Amino acid sequence: MGAERVRRLGELALPGLAIGVTGGLIAGGLSLLAGQPPGWALASMLTLAIPMGLIGGGYSLLMAYGIFRPGVFATGGLYWFVGFPVSRLIQEAGSSTIIYGAPHLREDVLSFLAYQALVSLGFAIGFVWLHERLTPSWLMRVQHRNPDAQRLLAKYVQHAELLWRGQEQRRAARGARSKGAR
Amino acid sequence: MPIRELPDAPPSVHLLGPTVFLVALGVGMGESYLWPRLVLLFGPEIRWLFLVGVTLQAVVMLEMARYAMATGESIFFGAARVFKPLMWFFFITAIAVYIWPGHLSAGMAAFEQITGIPWQVSACIGLLLVGVVFSLAKVIYNLLENLLSVLIGALVVGTSVIAAMVGNWADLASTVTGMFHIGYLPEGAMSATWFPVIVGSIAFAGPSGMQQMWYTLHLRDSGAGMGAHIPKVRGLRHAGEEEQMPSRGFMFDTSNPAEMAKWKGWRRWVTFDALLLFWGVTMLVTVAFTVIAQAAARQSPNVKALIEAGDREASLNAMADSFASAGSSVLGVVFLGFIALIGMNATLGLFDSFSRGQADMTYHFVPGAKKFRMSYLYAGFLWGVVIFGILILLFGPADGPAGILDTLAFLSTFAMGAYCVTLLLVNNTMLPKPIRPKIWTNLIIGFGAVFYLGMLFYSLFRFGVIVN
Repeated sequence: MGAERVRRLGELALPGLAIGVTGGLIAGGLSLLAGQPPGWALASMLTLAIPMGLIGGGYSLLMAYGIFRPGVFATGGLYWFVGFPVSRLIQEAGSSTIIYGAPHLREDVLSFLAYQALVSLGFAIGFVWLHERLTPSWLMRVQHRNPDAQRLLAKYVQHAELLWRGQEQRRAARGARSKGAR
Repeated sequence: MPIRELPDAPPSVHLLGPTVFLVALGVGMGESYLWPRLVLLFGPEIRWLFLVGVTLQAVVMLEMARYAMATGESIFFGAARVFKPLMWFFFITAIAVYIWPGHLSAGMAAFEQITGIPWQVSACIGLLLVGVVFSLAKVIYNLLENLLSVLIGALVVGTSVIAAMVGNWADLASTVTGMFHIGYLPEGAMSATWFPVIVGSIAFAGPSGMQQMWYTLHLRDSGAGMGAHIPKVRGLRHAGEEEQMPSRGFMFDTSNPAEMAKWKGWRRWVTFDALLLFWGVTMLVTVAFTVIAQAAARQSPNVKALIEAGDREASLNAMADSFASAGSSVLGVVFLGFIALIGMNATLGLFDSFSRGQADMTYHFVPGAKKFRMSYLYAGFLWGVVIFGILILLFGPADGPAGILDTLAFLSTFAMGAYCVTLLLVNNTMLPKPIRPKIWTNLIIGFGAVFYLGMLFYSLFRFGVIVN
């Protein structure tokens, strides 16, 4: 895969990657301010930010290749139903291995995964919500140099047209209003 | 009302819309503090009352939307059509209840814990920023929807991650199953100490006070239904570009089947908003915060004692401390960060909504006000509340003078009963028959009026205490 291809893919993956990494940063970045040992905070942050960033980036790529569609929550919900527990498992096992030398979970694996899967629905709502808000403006910035971004942006535009196809009617209505408002 | 064409409805399944305002206003101290507190005091079974409160609010939201989408008028205008003093009651109540910057002081106190910046300084800067940003915006609605969407998205993602890290299966299961213990009322709940707290918490489940009424203004500015025929409110800097505001709303032809089909599309759209975005997100955040509070109480018995004692700031700090001492799941600062974020969301939403509502009523019903553009009136109220807020933060009590706190709490809950009555009157007398609410909807809204007013007066006469 050439450098150009990697750059294009990276640009497509960026919105989901950024949201996923932000979720991970929440776990550890600010905890430095709470006076915890920097090593612990860093371990907690990286072990969540990396998997969540990768899975978030994967979501954006799946959207770019037409597997997920803009404006739909269900697919994002299912995606994170698996992705979120996996990320948390990596974090719990990874950070405890780094800090204590052996993987450790607070409860048995099944209960842990079941709980994380349920909480994932909440995370998915926030993720999809932010993704829908951030992606179109990012694609607008990179479309001139990335044909894949241009194609994905076209899908968003098509979706927006579907959502607001009444826009023309409203404009016409506003024109008529200036005559008959008073 | 003049007849105009109803625009086509967007597809019902959508992710972003005017409900973001209601969520921003609704997800506040009720969700982050009051309900977690009740769960620690009376057990998760008490949450059935939250379920009732939020579900009732979702139906209220749908009925508020009915009038606003059918006419492009706010519910205040509808109230004035029924009985003008009713509208003036809401006008005065809004000033009495919402000019106090108390919602900001709690958030900024949390911010002080993180950064060390005195809360008065950050609160004053926050207020000035709100005034400047809304004055510079071209179309205020668009700016606010973008801003609040990102803030609420961050809030939902963040609280989910925190709940995932500090809670466990048992916490979540008890929180969720607690919602279905319909009728559960422990002995202590029916006391002079706790009954008013429970009533207040139900009133604060989701949007409280007049927030639902303001939603009709946001719905109109988003161009939903007949709101498409009304110009948008602009920031002060772009006020000159504002189109002439019509002196009344518009109605569509309800005898035309094609128009009625579009109306059904709009109802599906707003129902999706009410169920998934409003009900779902509000429920989600409160479940997450309850799980977080249960985890904090488990880690530190001190938290439970402080929460029971009712000192909000001490409780939130203790919850943060309990996470900060829990090994690798160090989230105390982040928790406080989200409390600050909630305060910020509430300030942005409340100040805009207050100014929007007062400007709307002033423009249409104060003689001579039509000489000014709506945007100027909006800016007048916005800067009025910002300057008053700064003066109060510096020199006065942030929640309002102690002597009138009871009156403000009373007015806030009374307004909720009053708007249920207003909704029944407006939707059943001002709208054409084909689009009036169904009987079951009227029954639920009627139940809401009895519920809010009944509990308010029961608390007052039985225990001699106003809600808190």
